[in-house]
Amino acid sequence: MTSRDDRQKDAANAADTMADKLAALDAAKYALSDAARPQAVAKRRAMDMATARERLGMLCDDDSFREIGGLVEPDRGHDLSRDLIAPADGAVTGTGRINQKPVNILAQDFTVLGGSIGAVADAKCGRLVKFSRECGQPMVMLLEGGGHRIQDGMNAAHFAAASPVFRELATLSGWVPMVTAIMGQGFAGPTAYAALCDFVVMLRGQSTMGIAGPALVKAGTAGEITKEDLGGAARQADQQGIADLAVDSEEECLQAIRNFLSYLPQNAGEAPPVVPCDDPVDRRDDALLELVPADSRRVYNMKKVIDAIADKDSVFELKPGYARNMITAFARLNGRPVGIFANQPMRKGGILDVPACEKAAHFIAMCDAFGLPLVSLIDIPGISIGPAAEDTGLGRRSGRLFFEMGIATVPLASVVLRKGYGGGYYAMGGGRAFDANIALAWPTAEICAMSIEGAVDVAYRKQYEAAADPQAKRAELIADIKAQTSALDAASGFGIDDVIDPRDTRRILIETFANCPARRTNPAPPRHRPISPI
Amino acid sequence: MKTTRIESEVTGTVWSVPIGVGERVAEDDPIIMVESMKMEIPVCAPAAGTITEIKVAPGDTVNTGQVVAILTS
Repeated sequence: MTSRDDRQKDAANAADTMADKLAALDAAKYALSDAARPQAVAKRRAMDMATARERLGMLCDDDSFREIGGLVEPDRGHDLSRDLIAPADGAVTGTGRINQKPVNILAQDFTVLGGSIGAVADAKCGRLVKFSRECGQPMVMLLEGGGHRIQDGMNAAHFAAASPVFRELATLSGWVPMVTAIMGQGFAGPTAYAALCDFVVMLRGQSTMGIAGPALVKAGTAGEITKEDLGGAARQADQQGIADLAVDSEEECLQAIRNFLSYLPQNAGEAPPVVPCDDPVDRRDDALLELVPADSRRVYNMKKVIDAIADKDSVFELKPGYARNMITAFARLNGRPVGIFANQPMRKGGILDVPACEKAAHFIAMCDAFGLPLVSLIDIPGISIGPAAEDTGLGRRSGRLFFEMGIATVPLASVVLRKGYGGGYYAMGGGRAFDANIALAWPTAEICAMSIEGAVDVAYRKQYEAAADPQAKRAELIADIKAQTSALDAASGFGIDDVIDPRDTRRILIETFANCPARRTNPAPPRHRPISPI
Repeated sequence: MKTTRIESEVTGTVWSVPIGVGERVAEDDPIIMVESMKMEIPVCAPAAGTITEIKVAPGDTVNTGQVVAILTS
């Protein structure tokens, strides 16, 4: 806009009455609405996708969203951007209510220059981060678009200053819950924003994530690939776990954000929200007697155990399609939010590999940041072994799980359902490994340094091979060791606090968390920060 | 119609094949049981559909990532 235009506008404004000014304001705000932009809305309808403002309406409590920065104009300070038209600079920003609590929200508008992130939108995002930091309110981003706006970015006078947004977002980590929904194309910038968030949700068949989209990949490597194959939910949620959840509709996506936030406090200075519960504390589910086969060769579905222990319909699983040998889920016990992590025997026998360790480690960090007590349900054959496992860097990367368990101070309860073997038993917080508030075992537990058959083959091979009947001697040795690895043996050495009837698990966990302080003592000496193994 | 290659998640020995070619399965139904780490670990259907091919038999050795069956959905 030229200075001459400004002078004309000022002169016109000076002659206006308040009514005129309000009418002009109404007109300017109407111009931002979906009603004033039918062509943009029609494009969304053609793709069966909602507009940014419709998404905000679905996400927030009724009529609670209050926009800021809607009246901004894009940066037009250089030749490439001189003629840009970009309502709200392509990002709707403001504060709304979710579950009756204030949340700061950014929704990218894909209909404005492809959802590209301009300099003014970047400043609006920074303003929301400031609100979240200073008011202690969650930050939610509904993202769909490219990265940096090319018209802005291909100019060193603008780009060289970079953006403080990543530093700003990092300052929120662990202070307020941070959420990203990738609701369409999300290569580059949106993916980088999402990487700093606690919870990322995407839509199957609609959302894509990644460092760069197919066009840049083709330019850089000459390889052709569809955006779905490159960054769809199958790759980024199920295979890589960079998204925590993949859903099938925009309604489900936005509801998932509401559900996620319902388990967390507004910020790390508050207690997690307790909700009324009509599920009896002493409910004893007889199914627990049948769910875990005594025969350790037989697997079972750990999710059924979690459902039987937690408040009815309270389980919210994170990363359900990724590293399925490890279950991570928010749940409630007598209305109080907790974080449950559990080995899943149905998948890879429940063994700990790199994805499982990192999935659990991130989950533990999040629960610890926001004060959710941890429940570890253990049926672990061990940490993965062999050259394929070593090729993943498991020796170092499994350390992230030990590390997070070591620095977490929220209440911890461990329950050994069946196998508690080796380093995996330590990593899951069994016994006294991480000073659990209570360490329990079911009567089916079998706790020792490694699989019994493996131990006999490693330590006693010469002995049984020298016997008259080697196989009979091997079986005898296995039986001898098995007789000293039971739950009662574990309790006899006071490595665990008690052996319990599985049906009492729910009640004992509820009582334990009700009777202990919100934080365990942190024995670490004063330091600037601990250093994660990876 | 979509064809999905069902892969073993673990290295081990095929213990049993509880599903036959042509049978319909639901998501997470066990297709193959693999003996590994002294356990019978299922290889489960990633989605609902019909099993159109089974590539292994009891006693076969399978490796992590090896295709053990084909699902059409």
